[in-house]
Amino acid sequence: MAATTELNFFQVKKGLFSWIFSVDHKRVGLLYLYSIMAFFLVGVILGVLMRLELLNPGKDLMEAKTYNQVFTMHGVIMIFLFIIPSIPAVFGNFFLPIMLGTDDVAFPKLNLLSWWIYVVGALMALSTLLFGDGPADTGWTFYAPYSVRTGTNVTMSVLAAFVLGFANILTGLNFIVTIHRLRTPGMTFFKMPLFAWALYATSWIQLLATPIIGITLLMIVAERVLGVGLFDPSIGGDPILYQHLFWIYSHPAVYIMALPAFGIISELLPTFTHRTIFGYKAIAFSSLAIAFVGYFVWGHHMFTTGMSGAARIVFSIMTFLVAIPTAIKVFNWVATLYKGSIDVQPPLLYALGFIFQFMIGGLSGLVLGALASDVHLHDTYFVVGHFHYVMFGGTGFAFFGALHYWYPKIWGRMYNKTIANIAFVIFFIGFNTLYFPMLISGLMGMPRRYYDYLPEFHLPNMISTYGSWILATGLVLMLGNLIAGFFGPKPEIGRNYWGGITLEWQTLSPPPLQNFDKMPEIPKGGPYDFENNY
Amino acid sequence: MKNNTESHDESAHGTHITSNKEHYSTLAALLLLTVLTVSISVFGANLRSLTVATAMLIATVKVIVVAYYFMHLKFEKKIYTWLVLLVIVLFLSFLILTSIEYLNR
Amino acid sequence: MEHHSGLVLPNSGHNRDAEASKLGMWLFLFTEFLLFGGLFIVYMVYRMLNPEAFLTASYQLNVTLGAMNTVVLLVSSMTIAMSITAIQQGNSKRSIQLLVFTVAASLVFLVIKYFEWSAKIHHGLFPGMDVFNRLPHGEGLFFYLYFFMTGLHALHIIIGAIFIVVVIFRTKNGLLNADNYSHTENAGLYWHLVDMIWIYLFPLFYLIH
Repeated sequence: MAATTELNFFQVKKGLFSWIFSVDHKRVGLLYLYSIMAFFLVGVILGVLMRLELLNPGKDLMEAKTYNQVFTMHGVIMIFLFIIPSIPAVFGNFFLPIMLGTDDVAFPKLNLLSWWIYVVGALMALSTLLFGDGPADTGWTFYAPYSVRTGTNVTMSVLAAFVLGFANILTGLNFIVTIHRLRTPGMTFFKMPLFAWALYATSWIQLLATPIIGITLLMIVAERVLGVGLFDPSIGGDPILYQHLFWIYSHPAVYIMALPAFGIISELLPTFTHRTIFGYKAIAFSSLAIAFVGYFVWGHHMFTTGMSGAARIVFSIMTFLVAIPTAIKVFNWVATLYKGSIDVQPPLLYALGFIFQFMIGGLSGLVLGALASDVHLHDTYFVVGHFHYVMFGGTGFAFFGALHYWYPKIWGRMYNKTIANIAFVIFFIGFNTLYFPMLISGLMGMPRRYYDYLPEFHLPNMISTYGSWILATGLVLMLGNLIAGFFGPKPEIGRNYWGGITLEWQTLSPPPLQNFDKMPEIPKGGPYDFENNY
Repeated sequence: MKNNTESHDESAHGTHITSNKEHYSTLAALLLLTVLTVSISVFGANLRSLTVATAMLIATVKVIVVAYYFMHLKFEKKIYTWLVLLVIVLFLSFLILTSIEYLNR
Repeated sequence: MEHHSGLVLPNSGHNRDAEASKLGMWLFLFTEFLLFGGLFIVYMVYRMLNPEAFLTASYQLNVTLGAMNTVVLLVSSMTIAMSITAIQQGNSKRSIQLLVFTVAASLVFLVIKYFEWSAKIHHGLFPGMDVFNRLPHGEGLFFYLYFFMTGLHALHIIIGAIFIVVVIFRTKNGLLNADNYSHTENAGLYWHLVDMIWIYLFPLFYLIH
């Protein structure tokens, strides 16, 4: 029935329009990949500029206001344009249907629409750099009342975030229906790969949390347009209520960023240890538990705002509860490594880097979740360090790990593994040199979001800035190596380059348009049953 | 292992056709509840703090009637009911956690 | 379609799947519910902080018009539910009649809403107007929320009506029929959600006594 010389999904149609109007989930995933990487690089440049300004005390490069705009833009781009869509929109789109043994997501047209909405939102966000009264200088949180009063172009940034929310909701909705309806016969919920479980939990957060930020951002726009506001104390409003609404979304959003990364790690470890994952169900359910409990902890971002004592205690307790399912995952990953036949390849290095850095990020998160210590550390560089350890050291590393892992499957080509390993080492060293000193300067009391600092914080800041250069070098080397892989003679990749066991390794590399050239076989003893399959 | 609410049967669509008689009685019930909630509010002036509770209770009953009969939740697979309940629990938790904050200020 | 040749997978994303489209619609309704949910949270907090002001301000609203609109929406909810019954039984003509009635009801709702709003705006109660600015703490919040929430709701009425008009045309063209009526069903689900939101808005704004 299936032709052996089947065209892959790159060859089926050519030309720009065959891409930007494609309803093929693989092409949509790659569209997302290319756009996300472009915005990521803009965010990186802004980040490097900020570090350059902070190299020495005093003004080096930019004015205070410019610095405020740069860190806001860095936050908006990295959060709304890079890290929230990153893994679900790229690898989720590309691999979820393949892993479930189907040919597309449940609503292919909505999927394409979500990319278009994303592009429109992204252009709206970037347009503030060029037009109007300059980009917002509020920080990515758009706290009222400053966001209502500042003269910068907050309205456009806020509307951009609103529009981007739609793209997220559509992706989440699509994945939930896909997982419910399109699993191939025999693929029960408990035979799904853990990446699918992670995406399932993520999608529920995208679906149920994003509307709250949508309406909150509309309130900000209404306040700016009408001139009077819901959060304006002069008519009895309460600015802290804005923070509640903002974090009702934005805390769960942290799990939108983190959960897919957990899914990636749960894929990488079995493949490169050649053994079944330890505690499959525990990992699957802990994703759901994190998604659920994550809704009830938003108050820990607001311990110092004058929130009532009772609420602070409740939120602090709930925060510690989230640590439990997260720790379950880490223990299971480490247990998977134990007595596995470990094959050290670039993707595994990223997974190990993830575990190391995510532990630092997670444990520093507990320091911040504890009511007493947060009062001292709130709004210091400790928070910045913690956040980047979790998001960049965690999700960012998982994203690049996934890129190295699925590279041969997506493009049917291969990068230079030695250079990839070297790039990882530089990247890893750069990352820790950049962010670890932030934890220390934060403990010393250095406040965040200033373009200047006291001389006593000079040393950690200098080290951080040097680290940013190392990190950028590693990044350039890594991406250059990946791009170089596209050129030159095409190596023989085969179907299963790494010896993985999930369904995407049963098809051609790159996959044909309908994903499979022969009916995929579901591993009998569960999705990671290496013993019975190899 | 297999969750029966998740089976891929194709027959699930449109197994139940609601008769017009059912529709009329559903509407009658909803209108009756509307009359009830308006009269409590306009004539039962002495209930004070209870009015919020009764008004919300009646509204909730109305919403359940709409969901159950007009939206066919009663005849759908059970998973729809569970998902709706999940969303409601989630939203109620938002309300409760926020009230904990503001009631203790 | 870009879809051709080779293997045909049993559960394809390109098949018509009424169950999937219904599940998708329900998920979308959840997001709509939570969109209003954010506003309900704001309402709850401010009513808790200003119970007396909300009471005073709500006397300015016209209970009769609010109740009329409730009845209009409830009746239209029934007619759209009946139009689904009609199309399930293969009676496209009757289904279209009922849908047209529903759209007409949505217009009645909007006209009543228009008169209500213009009366308030005439009294200077819209946010930013002179009377609004002189209102005591709390009452301004009430009117801000009143306009925001009923305005957003009216926007949903308009979207829902457009959705129903599309369904009417698709039924007319025979695209929707007894074998394929997901769109009718989904329009109904959406319309019921709009109705449900109003069921809560009505007592929260008009019936504080």
